[in-house]
Amino acid sequence: MTGIFSRSVVAAAAVLCLAGYVFVYATGRADQPIRSDGFSYYVYLPAWFIFHDTTLAAVAKDCCGGEFPDFTAIIRWPGTRHWVNAHPIGVAIMQAPLFLIGHGLTRWSNLSADGFTLYYQHAAGLSGLFWTIAGLWSLRRLLVRHFTDTVTSVTLMVILFGTNLYHYATFDSSYSHAYSFFLCAAFLNLHDRWIRSPSRRLAVLLGLVSGLIVLTRHTNVLLPVLVLLLATRWNETLRRSDDLLTIAVVAAAVVAPQAALYYRATGRILVSPYGALGFNLGSPAILGVLFSVKKGLFFWSPILLVAVAGLAMRSSGAPAFTRPAALFLILNTYLIASWWDWQFGASYGHRGFVDSLPIFAVGLASFYEWSARRRARLPIVACATSILVGLSVFQMFQYWNRVLPMSDTTWEQYRSVFLRL
Amino acid sequence: MTSRPLPSRSLLLSAAGLVVAIAGLVYLRDPAWLLRTESGFGPWEVDQNGTRFRWMGGHASFFVRSDAPGVTIPLRTTFNEGDRPIVVSISIDDRSVDRVVLTDGDWRHSSVRMPPRGTRRACRIDIRADRTRTGNRAVQVGEIQIR
Repeated sequence: MTGIFSRSVVAAAAVLCLAGYVFVYATGRADQPIRSDGFSYYVYLPAWFIFHDTTLAAVAKDCCGGEFPDFTAIIRWPGTRHWVNAHPIGVAIMQAPLFLIGHGLTRWSNLSADGFTLYYQHAAGLSGLFWTIAGLWSLRRLLVRHFTDTVTSVTLMVILFGTNLYHYATFDSSYSHAYSFFLCAAFLNLHDRWIRSPSRRLAVLLGLVSGLIVLTRHTNVLLPVLVLLLATRWNETLRRSDDLLTIAVVAAAVVAPQAALYYRATGRILVSPYGALGFNLGSPAILGVLFSVKKGLFFWSPILLVAVAGLAMRSSGAPAFTRPAALFLILNTYLIASWWDWQFGASYGHRGFVDSLPIFAVGLASFYEWSARRRARLPIVACATSILVGLSVFQMFQYWNRVLPMSDTTWEQYRSVFLRL
Repeated sequence: MTSRPLPSRSLLLSAAGLVVAIAGLVYLRDPAWLLRTESGFGPWEVDQNGTRFRWMGGHASFFVRSDAPGVTIPLRTTFNEGDRPIVVSISIDDRSVDRVVLTDGDWRHSSVRMPPRGTRRACRIDIRADRTRTGNRAVQVGEIQIR
């Protein structure tokens, strides 16, 4: 049976994520799951299913006396005075199944059915965990097609524990990143299958996932656009134009409700509720985003440097999307570095890159495959990987224990608490 | 003589899962820990007179024993210049039982009688405020007395 080891790894990851989730909430390390950005991603669900109101006014009245607090980034649009949420509806759609179970249990137990009591909180928290595991499952399906089962298994564990993915599957699971991680992995897996054997069913699924990618984080639209248009030669792309049209139509249909919500609230179908805050495209903080002690991607997840090396190698078995996906990484880095708050506020590591970890995983797998070709390389690679993964997990515990600051970490702070719990 | 085929493993697992789910639902209909469950309250604070209170936002809820005769809920809010009164509504198991209008900074007490005991060991009391002040703070709720 192929892939049995990597299948066990996904199962073990699910158990370890659940254990971590129970740990952070049972020990009081994290506040209730629906908090900070997690509140505004989630707030659509009580609005739709409990208050039967798509304007968010009814839920604002119940939770907050009529006005959403500032931290929610839900603002009254100038002119119309309607509520506009900076965070789109994709996460809420993906939380809906567990939300409805939580709602049923809430009614059954006679808890307050306001959308924010016990079962709603953990339905939202466990949704992020569920989609992270679904993302690892999709990633496994993709990787085993191109790499050995052992390389796939090691890559999955390293992506989960050597980066901040585990943190966003457990501690901050109500944020959008676990959802985008799944969607990116599912998209790449479906695209890889579609390249090998195109079908209308795969095109519809690609459209659905592409639409959800946009609904979860608008700027991630670059991934499906670049991969679908650039992964094959132009004549091949043109040959698939029927499927591409299907993908575009399905994706547009999925995105349409968000555009309708924006239009009703503001009179426009595309809005930026951040007002004057936005992208500083002329002065991106590239070095800060990639290498700084504040939130640098490679500072906090150094194993990803290995992934970049693997992407640069482009092993012969690498999937067709590797080059356009790498281009997405570059453009996404530029966008993240151009955001007015390039640290993305409080986070462990840089949370803006969790979405694209499936692409890094392909690079990691390529590197490990290369390493496995010569026995002499293996001990060095295994040793370095273990140290970097261990460091990442240890620093995550430091963040959970509030030893590390939530943002604006300085070199002096980092050095003073290095390897101290 | 013919032997009956044994039920398949998946059938047994499904049956076991169903039994566990039903047992879980029966337990969750009226669990004892509900009496320690609440939502919408901030941490405890103490004012200059030594009175303990907690801020709530637009909505808070808690549970009391269903055999309790009644409950008294102390309520107060703060007023800055131009602030409008806050209307506080109290309900027990989704039935409205009291309405208090806070027009100044003094404590008001909402004393409500509990309905006849039903089939559950706990009744849910919801407190709702019609507006909040800065920081999603609506009303200070003092120590609730269960009579």
